[in-house]
Amino acid sequence: MPRWAEAISAARPKVVAALAARLRDLDLAEDAFADATAAALTAWPLQPPRDPAAWLWRAAFRRAIDARRRAATRERAVFDPAEPAPTPEEVLMAADEPIPDERLRLIFVCCHPAIALDARAALTLKVVCGLSTERLARAFLTTESAMLQRITRAKRKIREAGVPFEVPAREAWPERLEAVLATLEIAYAQAYEDAALVGDAAGFAREVLRLSAILAELASDEPEVLGLAALVRFAEARRPARLDDAGAMVPPDQQDVALWRRDIIEEGARLLDRAANLRRTGPRQVMATIHAAHLSRAEGRPTPWRDIAALYDVLLQMRPGVVTAVNRAVAVGEAIGADAGLQALMEAEAPPDWLPYQAARAGLCAKAGRTAEAAAALKAALALDPAPAERLFLKRRLAALQ
Amino acid sequence: MQYMILIYEPETAFQGETGANRLTDIVAKHMALAGDLRAKGVMQGGSGLQGVETATTVASQGGKQTVHDGPFAETREHLGGYYLIDVPDLDGALAIAKRVPVVDGGKVEVRPLMVR
Repeated sequence: MPRWAEAISAARPKVVAALAARLRDLDLAEDAFADATAAALTAWPLQPPRDPAAWLWRAAFRRAIDARRRAATRERAVFDPAEPAPTPEEVLMAADEPIPDERLRLIFVCCHPAIALDARAALTLKVVCGLSTERLARAFLTTESAMLQRITRAKRKIREAGVPFEVPAREAWPERLEAVLATLEIAYAQAYEDAALVGDAAGFAREVLRLSAILAELASDEPEVLGLAALVRFAEARRPARLDDAGAMVPPDQQDVALWRRDIIEEGARLLDRAANLRRTGPRQVMATIHAAHLSRAEGRPTPWRDIAALYDVLLQMRPGVVTAVNRAVAVGEAIGADAGLQALMEAEAPPDWLPYQAARAGLCAKAGRTAEAAAALKAALALDPAPAERLFLKRRLAALQ
Repeated sequence: MQYMILIYEPETAFQGETGANRLTDIVAKHMALAGDLRAKGVMQGGSGLQGVETATTVASQGGKQTVHDGPFAETREHLGGYYLIDVPDLDGALAIAKRVPVVDGGKVEVRPLMVR
C-alpha cells in the first residue's frame, strides 16, 4: 500500500494540472483525481499499472467528463447548455495522449492578480502540490475553516470571473511574474521550515525545485527568476546537513560540508551566474548570493561574514522589514562584533514575541558575555513553540550557558 | 464572456470650469475607445451617466419601499458610467479596463455577467 501511495502523490501535480487545464475547473480536477485515486487503490493490488500516472490521468479524465455530463443533464431544464459535451471519441482521444505538462499554466492561474494576495500561495500549494487544507492552515497560522473558505473563494473567483487557464503572453510577464515568484518563495519557505522533511513537505520542496527550473527555462532573460531558482537550490543543497543525529537543528556555519549536495550547488551557481550576466539586480539574487557565501565553506574557506553583512545592507534597501533586519544583525555580530550586532538588532525593531528575534538575541548576548540575558532570550524563544529540531537546538544552547 | 466595466470617479473632478474642460476631454477619449471596441465587435453597450445630483434611490425594507433623493451611498467616488463588453476571458476584460479613461483617483471595476 505505501508503494501505491507514493506513486499517487508523485503523479498528482502533473495529473491534476493537466486535468485543470483541460477541464478549466480546479474543483472538478481535484475531485476527479480523488475519485481516480480511490479506484486505483482497489484496482492496483489486483493488477499493478504499467504507468501509474497515465492510469490516473485516464481514469480521472473519464470521471470528470462523466461528472460534467451528469451536471449538464441536471441543469439543462434550468439553463441553456453551456457547451456541447465532448463525444466519446473525443474522450478516448484525449485519454490516449501523453499527459501534457500544464503545471506552469496552473501556477499562473493560481497567482493571477485578480486572486486575493493571501490566497495565492495557499491555492498554489493546494492545487499544484496537493497539500491538505489542514497542513496549509498550520503553515499560514490560521484555522482550517478560515483556510478552506479562503481557498473556496479563490477557486470560485477563478471559475466565475473567467480567469483564463493560460500562460500569459510574453509582454505581460513582467507584471505577472512577480506574483508567481512571490508565491514560489512562500511555498519554498514552507518546505524549508520543515528541516526534517517529514510528511508532505518533501513533495513540495521537490515541486518548487522543478517549477523554478521550468520558469528559469521559459524566462531565461529575467534575472529574478534565475535568482529564485538559484536560491532554492542553495538552500536545498544544505538539507542533508541541517539536522544532527539527535534530530537537532544545525546552523549553516556549523554544518558538515561533506553532507552538502555538490550537484545542486553547482546547478544553483550556474543559474546565479546567468542572472548576474543580465546586470539587473534584485532581492532574490541578493538572497541567493548570501546563500552562496555560506556555501563557500565547502571550498575550505571560513564563512565570509563581512561579505554577508554587506549583502544584508543591500537587501535591507531592497526589501526592508524585520526578517531582513534581524538576519543582518546576526551577520553584523559575526562580522564586526557582538555589540555592533546587538545595536543592529535593536534598530530592527522586531516584535519580542517573534522566535527568530529571541534566537538572534540569545546568540548575540552570549557572544557579548551577557549570559543571564542570553539565557532569558533562550527561555523566551523556547516559550514561542519552536519546531522539534529547533527546540532541541535551543535547549542545548541553554544547557551550555548554565 | 460578458463583462460590465463600472467606472467610479470623484464627482468633484468635473466641477467648475476646469472640471467642464476635463469632462469634454475625457468624453472624447471614451468616444474613441467605444469606437474601437465597436469596430472589433467587442462592445455590447455602455454609456456615461448623468451627475449624482440627478440620482433617485428606491429603498426596500421590512416590506416597505421608500423613494428618496440622492445616490444610495454617500461616498467620494460615484458610478459615472459603464461599458458592457464580450471578450474571451478576464484578461481580455482587464486589458480593456486599463484603457478606460479616468481622472486621477478614478477606479474601474470589472464584473462578469451572470448569463454566459
